[in-house]
Amino acid sequence: MGYISGKNMIGRLSSGFGKFKLLASFTIFVLMIAVSPTLLTAGDNGHCLECHTRPDKLKVSEKAKIDPVTAEIKVASMLIDEAAFKASAHGGQDFFCIDCHPDLDGVDLTEGHKPNLKPVDCITFCHDDPAEEYLNSTHVKLMKQNNKDVPTCKDCHAGLTYHYTPLGEKSPRDVPRGTDPLHRKLTIESCGSCHQDYFDSYRNNAHGQVTALGHTTTDVPVCFDCHGKHKILNSSEPESKVGKDKILETCGKCHANANASFVKHVEHPQIKNVGYYKTLLAAVKNARNNPEGLKKVIKNPQTILCIVFVMYIGILAFTFSSFGLHSLLTWLATVRDEFKRKGHADEEHH
Amino acid sequence: MKSTINYIRFSLFHRFCHFLIIISFFGLVLTGVPLAFRSYAWARWLYELFGGYPTAGYIHRICALITFFAAFIHFVYLFYNISVRKKRGFFWGPNSLLIQPRDIFDIIGDIKWFLGIGKRPDFDRWIYWEKFEYLSLMWGTLVMAVTGLILWFPVQFTKIIPVSVAGIIDLPSIALIVHRYEAILAAGFIFTIHFFHTHLLPEKMPADEVIFTGKITEEEFKHERLNQFKRLESQRQLENYKVAPPSLFVTFLARLFAVPMLIIGLIMVGFMFSALLVWAI
Repeated sequence: MGYISGKNMIGRLSSGFGKFKLLASFTIFVLMIAVSPTLLTAGDNGHCLECHTRPDKLKVSEKAKIDPVTAEIKVASMLIDEAAFKASAHGGQDFFCIDCHPDLDGVDLTEGHKPNLKPVDCITFCHDDPAEEYLNSTHVKLMKQNNKDVPTCKDCHAGLTYHYTPLGEKSPRDVPRGTDPLHRKLTIESCGSCHQDYFDSYRNNAHGQVTALGHTTTDVPVCFDCHGKHKILNSSEPESKVGKDKILETCGKCHANANASFVKHVEHPQIKNVGYYKTLLAAVKNARNNPEGLKKVIKNPQTILCIVFVMYIGILAFTFSSFGLHSLLTWLATVRDEFKRKGHADEEHH
Repeated sequence: MKSTINYIRFSLFHRFCHFLIIISFFGLVLTGVPLAFRSYAWARWLYELFGGYPTAGYIHRICALITFFAAFIHFVYLFYNISVRKKRGFFWGPNSLLIQPRDIFDIIGDIKWFLGIGKRPDFDRWIYWEKFEYLSLMWGTLVMAVTGLILWFPVQFTKIIPVSVAGIIDLPSIALIVHRYEAILAAGFIFTIHFFHTHLLPEKMPADEVIFTGKITEEEFKHERLNQFKRLESQRQLENYKVAPPSLFVTFLARLFAVPMLIIGLIMVGFMFSALLVWAI
């Protein structure tokens, strides 16, 4: 009667599920024969890639991961893009899956491995030096003071994955090398997600405008090229890459023969920062009570940049409004003359 | 019916200079404007179209060199005519491109014409807004050349500046801001004011070919610059300027070149204006 009872539906579903189960266990059975007994050993990625490049060989090809802090849910693919892995910082000759997933060392794969692996520990055995540098940096200390969530290794370097989603979209976070343009581009956004002001002013700079157009090869500096990676220090500290002692070396990496005047360059122009104009006005207002404050503002190279910017906005507004009006009037008057002439011509005709 | 009597208005040298300026200006605008409008998709597309980084930058610099060349031959021409051939009238009189007292009367006359209380003034060889365009081209080229060179050779330029001054006056940053907004001014001006004043007037549509063919019909001459026409007539010089009308082929070539350029310019100004709207809204 074109009507299926609830009971029937469940029956159908469960029978469908049964078929799937049968198929899955059959697949596993075939696999068992084909590869058994398989013990996972160091020095070989072959066993891992054998299944993790083929969705039909995996029991689970996607897993949901819930962020314990933000409760954000991400779908992690269990598939590996071998080319992406090879291109990554870990893709060298002597690096293997179980180096990061040590709980699979020596596991018998006859029936597959356990579903949930331990989170990867980057620090203990391999990257203890940069981790210490990072965790002791002023950057992290300030974040802790201000109750910000301190990013972990994986937040910047890798997340879930050398894994790609079933849609074919590659994960951007596959422990890329520092020279990888996509990675470099994404780091600008990561830094910018907290340092919005610096991000905006960087975009107004010669370097930032090129990276904004999508060119983030090593020819154009992104945040970490100048500020460093693990040990980011305030420019007032002499050790800082953008501090007094090291700035010549930092700029000199790209600009050969960078000199002491050159490195005074303002990387973060405040020309579009309303806040800076407010401090400028406040300093001018309080000039009588606080002449030192005014002097400080005048000596700030940002002030000239702001004046030049405002001047140009004025020139643009004046030129286009006056000449725009002039063009419009010329146009209208020309049309009017044409009409008049035509009118005359018509009269003569009659 | 169009009159068949034609007069020469622009010499081959002037037409060649205008052609060089068009080629280099479009090259500079198309490879430079994307940087100023970096956050828009069209800017990215345009930048990629010209090879992206660093190719677009190389094209930009080559076009800058063409501009320098055009400016160079222009000043050589002026120098040669003034000091070697002892020609007069470059600084004073109807043939000068500098502002003259009569320009003030022309402006007043023009305003009267706009308001409908007078007829169109009888202009001479150069109308006041043409002079303004010429002078702003000279000034703009100088500003763009100096700031462009600073951005091209930032290390070498900052070397000249003492460290104490460099902490207050940041030459490359100033150069970048001036270069960016002077460029928007120049591109916006050429693609709107220059286009609508000279090429896209109802009587000229779609382009004023005089700057390409060099020849102006008597009818146009009398309508546009009656004063010059009468002056030459009274000086009995008019005959010297008479030439055969441009062939249909030359006129066609002029349009074939000018119309796409006008369209590209208008598209660019449309993009820039849309960015202004997005920013304003």
